[in-house]
Amino acid sequence: MQVIAEAIGHDYGPLPVLENVDLAVREGEVLAIIGPSGCGKSTLLSILGGLLQPSRGRVLLKGQPQADCLNPLTFVFQDFALLPWRSVAGNVELVLEHHRLGSAERRRRVADALARTGLSDFAAALPKQLSGGMRQRVGIARALAVRPAVLLLDEPLSALDAQTRELLLEDFESLWVRERTTAIYVTHNLSEALRLADRVAVFSRRPGRLKELVEIPLPRGQRSGAQAQVELAALHDRLWGLIRAEAQSAVTELEHG
Amino acid sequence: MKRLLLGAVCAFSLTVGTAVQGGVQAADEITVAALTFVSSSPLFIAQERGYYEEEGLDVSFEFFRAAQPVAVAIASGDADFGVTAFTAGFYNLAANGSLKVIGAQSREEPGFEFSAYLASNAAWEDGLKAPEDLPGHELGITQRGSSFHLMLGLLAEELEFDVDAVKLTTLEAVPNMMSAVSTDQVDAVILPGWLARRIEGEDGGRIIGWVHDYTPYQLGGLFTSSDNVEERRDVVERFVRAYQRGAADYAEAFHQFDEEGNRVFGEEAEALIPIIQQYTDATPDAIKASASYIDPEGALDVGSVYQQVEWLQEQGLVAAQADPASFIDLSFIDSHFNLPE
Amino acid sequence: MAEAVRELKFRGGGFAPGRKRWTALVFFALVLGIWQLAGSRGWVSPLFLPSPLAIFEALRAEAISGNLWIHLTASLQRIGLGWVLGTLAGLALGLAMGLFTLARSVGLPLVSAFFPIPKIALLPLFILWFGIGEASKLVTIGMGVFFPTVVAAYSGVDTVPRNLVRMAQSFSLPYSAIVWKVVLPGAMATIVAGFRITVSLALILVVAAEMIGAEYGLGAFIISAGHLMMTDRLLGGVVCLSILGLLAGTGITLLERRLLHWR
Repeated sequence: MQVIAEAIGHDYGPLPVLENVDLAVREGEVLAIIGPSGCGKSTLLSILGGLLQPSRGRVLLKGQPQADCLNPLTFVFQDFALLPWRSVAGNVELVLEHHRLGSAERRRRVADALARTGLSDFAAALPKQLSGGMRQRVGIARALAVRPAVLLLDEPLSALDAQTRELLLEDFESLWVRERTTAIYVTHNLSEALRLADRVAVFSRRPGRLKELVEIPLPRGQRSGAQAQVELAALHDRLWGLIRAEAQSAVTELEHG
Repeated sequence: MKRLLLGAVCAFSLTVGTAVQGGVQAADEITVAALTFVSSSPLFIAQERGYYEEEGLDVSFEFFRAAQPVAVAIASGDADFGVTAFTAGFYNLAANGSLKVIGAQSREEPGFEFSAYLASNAAWEDGLKAPEDLPGHELGITQRGSSFHLMLGLLAEELEFDVDAVKLTTLEAVPNMMSAVSTDQVDAVILPGWLARRIEGEDGGRIIGWVHDYTPYQLGGLFTSSDNVEERRDVVERFVRAYQRGAADYAEAFHQFDEEGNRVFGEEAEALIPIIQQYTDATPDAIKASASYIDPEGALDVGSVYQQVEWLQEQGLVAAQADPASFIDLSFIDSHFNLPE
Repeated sequence: MAEAVRELKFRGGGFAPGRKRWTALVFFALVLGIWQLAGSRGWVSPLFLPSPLAIFEALRAEAISGNLWIHLTASLQRIGLGWVLGTLAGLALGLAMGLFTLARSVGLPLVSAFFPIPKIALLPLFILWFGIGEASKLVTIGMGVFFPTVVAAYSGVDTVPRNLVRMAQSFSLPYSAIVWKVVLPGAMATIVAGFRITVSLALILVVAAEMIGAEYGLGAFIISAGHLMMTDRLLGGVVCLSILGLLAGTGITLLERRLLHWR
């Protein structure tokens, strides 16, 4: 399934945050969206996921999700958004309960999602008993349980410490090597984008415009070799140059405005 | 501190003697607890006509909104003298030993309309036409052990019916009783006559009898603390004298009848009404309508008090050990009557 | 010259009050002991402050005569029914105010206007409207319970993190499922905290409600004892109310543990 943004613009009251964004997410790709703080990245993701009505423009969906998909556009949130009164399994089950599934099928999906995220032993635990990284894994398990056509990840790692982030990054990598789920990955962290994405969309400072769409020519999983590192470093510098210019002018604007 | 001071002043006045009443010696300061009712009039008359002053008493009033606090104020020593109606609560307080009844307030006296039995319109239609018909009906009262409850008890004894045959509904306050009877929520109430007349006038109920026709009795009394009786007998005597003069003036003014037996209010009454108005804030008509019988010498119907206490004890509303002999002090007034053997 | 060495002074203590069960019991026993002593030694008149034993005796007499149970059951029925009615109505309006714009626009000024009215002052009106029977008593208690429940439910819904609702929406949970599975459990902590207040309020209001037209009931018992100047019975009734309050508080704590074990 493809997600296409057509001339999206959005204002919060008098404040324009997004301006004229055209973006087509290809089937099976991981598209990273990066840009300085406040550039409307998360707003765009909410719009693409149908949680926010854009002030201008529209979002189009093309193609059908696969047969076992229960929730085509599925979010993974920065703050995990787990129900604290439900166990790990309960949180995953929550998103299946309103679908017509046999209880066996439901249990199977929960067990499968927990197994794929390494949470099988923690099915009965409450969120407060888990570390931040484990909690985000519950968020990912919950997303996987509905077999999404497009995953919308809203800075999924930014609430976590560096080590946990690294471990989850590896999880994501192997996830996308195994199954080619289309994903839009919002982050402010350039190296995350370079590790995971097929393409990187760089946004300007507020009001956010799509400044550049950069293809990463190396396949995921083959970006750790020495040669690859050199190529990526060049790409990193180029992208960083773009973002830094935007971020700096945003700061200057703040200081003088 | 205040009480210590009062004690000192009192002791001084005892040693110097009472010969110099109202003379060079400073007047004894006393506090009187009262309700702003017409039935407290002798207290007000004595003040306004200077009877306290002539006895060397400097009286200040402390006014309350209910009978109970008046008695509590005396028992706790916050006031020296009080006048209110007798209730079970009063007797329990008195039985505790801190109060002494020394004189009379109002009484239900034949010929003086004071409290009325009032039937609701619905009950009247259904045949509640006289106090004799009360058994089997619901009577609204303020509280168990209140004057109204007592009046029912005395009526039951007089007419020899079982008091339990009258269902009681406690309504806390007189205004609630008035609204309950006029909306047919209770079958009957006992109310101060002038209020009963007002309801009847508004077609909210029917007066079916008067308490004085059935059970004349001692409504209330003048009382002081046991400490005062024991330690400041002289002050008590002087206060009682002033109170008696007030009561005599009141009786002179308000106990008059014409040849047909109707009450009349002459010059004396007209002279007293402004005084009473000052304290009660009532209209002259309301004062006349609620002017109860007060013994001109402040004499108590002692037998009535014994009868009340006995009935309330039977009902379990007054402690069994309460003995009227222990809380009535007959030594200040000679003319108390109906003394039990 | 060697530098003087001194131990670091700890400065992080305090500000963490805990609870010790036995200290409360010892303190309680001490107060009772002094109170009893003051009574039996005649330091205070039994009328003004009956001794604990006298209060116990008065209660025992009522218990033996069976009246205590009649009073208790009468009051418990009124408290229970009044509380349930007030709570259900309060939850309905409070949740509606938490969820719907219309209910919030209408409800908020309504609650602000009516909450501060002392229900006891309205008792005579309730009697005119609902009679002197049970209805006016239930309304008195129910009204007292209603408004705090509305506030608790409404602010409880407000405290549910928006992101949880967004999450539920992002998985296309139906509206009713979001209310039942996300909003209600999320608001439960505030709602149960409200119960703690409303149960106490119901106990306070039963005394007022039974001022009028109640033959039996703890409130009627207490008020009657007050009018009769039977202070030992009065305090006996108050002790019963306190015990009910303690039991209710414990009950709510248990409820909290059950419903909010995840905290």
